[in-house]
Amino acid sequence: MVPTMSGENTVREIGHDEFDPKGTLVLILVYFGVLSVMWVFMYFVEFLGNDLTVLV
Amino acid sequence: MSEQLESGAPTFLDKFPDEAAVVRAALWSSFIALALGAVFGLIQALHRTDVLRLIDSTDYYTVLTAHGVLMVVSFTIFFLVGLFTWATVRSFDRGVESIRYTWTWYGLMVAGTLMAVVAILGGFVPQTDISADVLFTFYAPMQAHPLFYGGLAIFVIGTWLAGADYIWTWRAWAAENPDERIPLQGFMVLTTMLMWYVATIGIAIAVVAFLLPWSLGLFDQINPLLTRTLFWFWGHPVVYFWLMPAYLLWYTVLPTIAGGRLFSDPLGRVVFVLFLLLSTPVGIHHQYVDPGIAEGFKTIAMTNTMFLLLPSLLTAFTVVASVEHGARQRGGTGLLGWLRALPWRNPAFTGMMLAGLMFAAGGFSGMINAGMNINYLVHNTIWVPGHFHLTVGTAVALTLMAATYWLWPQLTNRRLYSRPIGLAQVVIWFVGMGLMSNAMHVQGLFGIPRRTAEPQYEGFDFVASFGSVSELNLQLAIGGTLLFISTMLFVTNIALSAGTPKLSGIGQPLSEPLSTVDDSPEILDNLKLWFGIALVLVVLAYALPLASIIDRGGLLGPGVDPVPMIVEPVAATIEPTLGRLAAAVGSVVP
Repeated sequence: MVPTMSGENTVREIGHDEFDPKGTLVLILVYFGVLSVMWVFMYFVEFLGNDLTVLV
Repeated sequence: MSEQLESGAPTFLDKFPDEAAVVRAALWSSFIALALGAVFGLIQALHRTDVLRLIDSTDYYTVLTAHGVLMVVSFTIFFLVGLFTWATVRSFDRGVESIRYTWTWYGLMVAGTLMAVVAILGGFVPQTDISADVLFTFYAPMQAHPLFYGGLAIFVIGTWLAGADYIWTWRAWAAENPDERIPLQGFMVLTTMLMWYVATIGIAIAVVAFLLPWSLGLFDQINPLLTRTLFWFWGHPVVYFWLMPAYLLWYTVLPTIAGGRLFSDPLGRVVFVLFLLLSTPVGIHHQYVDPGIAEGFKTIAMTNTMFLLLPSLLTAFTVVASVEHGARQRGGTGLLGWLRALPWRNPAFTGMMLAGLMFAAGGFSGMINAGMNINYLVHNTIWVPGHFHLTVGTAVALTLMAATYWLWPQLTNRRLYSRPIGLAQVVIWFVGMGLMSNAMHVQGLFGIPRRTAEPQYEGFDFVASFGSVSELNLQLAIGGTLLFISTMLFVTNIALSAGTPKLSGIGQPLSEPLSTVDDSPEILDNLKLWFGIALVLVVLAYALPLASIIDRGGLLGPGVDPVPMIVEPVAATIEPTLGRLAAAVGSVVP
């Protein structure tokens, strides 16, 4: 790849060591939160929303 | 994108005009398939919800097959070869070795597509016995006209030759640069094509050894479970074949558009290696309810599938971190306030971000599909199309369309016809898919089947836990209509871009990663090693199930009659002829 292209809207260059993706961590934690809630919800949909399954 | 485009740098077209012509041709083939596929998609959405029935329900499977094949074979794969040609030539910074060879594989892919499409559309013409109403999942006992299988075979051979073209370029580059690491885009192209070579073993055997001779009448019967299993051997990794172009764009183009740099080149490489290794030995998870495959094999496939979440979650982190880097370079601050600093008015950026957001939702429904016990709840319901319209239908399709807004000026030296229309288009897609996919998922939970022209039955009603089935149908129909409008806006915008004036110096160089390839071990670039391990994993996952299927049913199966999808038209032609004949005979014979 060619060297860094600074876009016109770049107000500051942030290098590897200065960048700490905390916002990404927050978004990923929110996503895992949503996934966990959906899994719990799925339990209700599958097991409590239906009759018992008879295993023969 | 005009203000960002005039960088003074040469475009891809300036540097490689011959290759740019191939890329444009491949992309146009893709867009034509997309537009046709969207017409069939609209007919389907309005038909099954009983909003508007333009066709006879017996033609529904012709429409469904055309929609499926045009979208997930033609649209996605033509775009892939166009994008991969661009990425290979750009990243190795050298033209292809033989442009005639490149046009040859493109020509083969076009010829194969035309054959398959003629076979499918023949289903609308009762006067002919050509038909292929076998859906995208074209395994036995459904039988298509030989033209369909022949077309598919030629198309796949075209993709193999395309892969060889990329490898050829890489080897030529490597001979001149023996100590260099493979550039990231080149690496992504090569690992994806190696995965494709592994995956297509299944479909090549299924089509060439069984389905084609069977449809030609050389065999009376084949083993349906064997062809189903060989289909899914390919049918799951093909979803990653659709997805990898989107990943390539998220990793290598999106950070630049966001104003930042890719967070980590090595993580990108790890992700593509994981897809090469894990994409194929999972296909049996599509066959959880198939009798004839032991539960143990299904459990192994489920475990492998869950491992596949890893590269996608790695991607979620790397791509979002790269975008955050862009936002912070643009002056964004705060834990989430940086999101406001992003270029949301740029359709390429917004489209790719919305596609990624929907992929996150698709990740959840994918986990439900992959779980063996919960899968039984949604298997063969419309939940499943709801899922894959989030993944291939949005994560892939919307990314490819959005990226075109960025890529097209690089291939034509012309500005996009309208940026605001582009922005509206990606947002309409997102809203339309939100409605349609939500309705499909919820209907699936109520047990409403997929692949059904008239999912309504006498004396039986689907019970909705909340809302009503008619509300969901309306949601589905409105969503489908919005998606159709969005597709037309996209194709028209690109077509009209041909009328904008030629510009020069609008090249957009891609930014360098924050963590470069030098931070990764060289073994990552050992493609022979990863290819070898991928083959071993496939043998481990498939040898015993296939042996057991063949052992029980034989290669040519336990005798299931074919269900030729040409019976209807033949009957329709023969019956009136016989009627006329009988009338003629009746008038002569007293």
